Amino acid sequence: MMAIPFAALVLGFLIVYFKAPAVPSNYADYVALAIVAGLDAFAGAGRNWLERRFDEAIFISGFFVNMLLAALLAYLGDKLGVNLYLAVVVALGIRIFNNLGHSRALLVSMRVEARRARTAAPSE
Amino acid sequence: MAVLLAANKRWVIPFTFVCLVLGAMLGIQVHTQRLRGDTMVGRETSALVGMLTRNEAQVGEQQEEIQQLRARLTEYEKEASSEKGLTRLMSEELHTARIALGVVEVKGPGIVLQISDSTMRASDEIGGQDVYVIHDFDLLQIANELWCAGAEAVSLNGQRLITGSSIACSARLIEVNSVTVGSPFTFQAIGDRDKLISALNIRDGVLDRLRVLQFPVKLTPKDSVAIPPISVTPKYTYARPVEKELTK
Repeated sequence: MMAIPFAALVLGFLIVYFKAPAVPSNYADYVALAIVAGLDAFAGAGRNWLERRFDEAIFISGFFVNMLLAALLAYLGDKLGVNLYLAVVVALGIRIFNNLGHSRALLVSMRVEARRARTAAPSE
Repeated sequence: MAVLLAANKRWVIPFTFVCLVLGAMLGIQVHTQRLRGDTMVGRETSALVGMLTRNEAQVGEQQEEIQQLRARLTEYEKEASSEKGLTRLMSEELHTARIALGVVEVKGPGIVLQISDSTMRASDEIGGQDVYVIHDFDLLQIANELWCAGAEAVSLNGQRLITGSSIACSARLIEVNSVTVGSPFTFQAIGDRDKLISALNIRDGVLDRLRVLQFPVKLTPKDSVAIPPISVTPKYTYARPVEKELTK
């Protein structure tokens, strides 16, 4: 089942990479920021999935709204002459790391529990 | 399709859609960054290369022109010196004027002075490295000292110093006659050797100051010093001689 979304990711990349013109350079930063926001949504979704509380409505709304907000915030910062771009990158970066860290901890603890259950079962 | 619509697989379609969007954005961004990097580097270097080749062509043309003009000048001189009287006097005057203007190579007894940046480093003493490198004002002071001692022709790193020659600092480099030069600096001067040497070595003079800070200084008298001509003679756009009317 995971193969379909993954194939879509690769397909989207390839189509746009070879067909689309380049983004005007003054918007390239916003696109980059939107991508980071998208990655953040993915990291969050992965964690939620592991915690068995994944909800596609939250995921999809989070994906698009965060992307838009991240780009808008950076744009606003540029208009005001404050480097809000950095604030967004730092905030999203921390969130991504947090979510990845939680996911890892969860995966490890799941494995440890599974092993404990396996070793405990025969002795009883 | 029916499988995808099953309740427990509901997430696949929206997830696929999101993946498509993210993939597309990654694609456009990677594409843009690559183009941006390419064009920036490409544009800059090609512009610089273009400028360089244009300048080189210009320099070549100008040097050719100089050669032709000098050849013609020598011809005129020859013709002039073959004639008698006033014209011969004029040709002698022209000879002196050409030395002064620096358009001919000159030879004669003189000195060679070589100085380079200090062997000391900033960490050896308090103060920045600026103290231990040779500056435009050091060179200016030396040139001035040489002229004061009656030098008849002076060159610095092969650049003839004439009226209107400049020794200037531009962005941590030194330019002589608009040509960039660097350490070690070599002065050549034609003139009275003893006078030149004693002028440079004057107590608390420029060389004394440099020696204290361990700048390598090599001052040698020479029986024959050859000083090259100036590469581009100055043009006189504004200055005009004043014609004095002869009154009676």
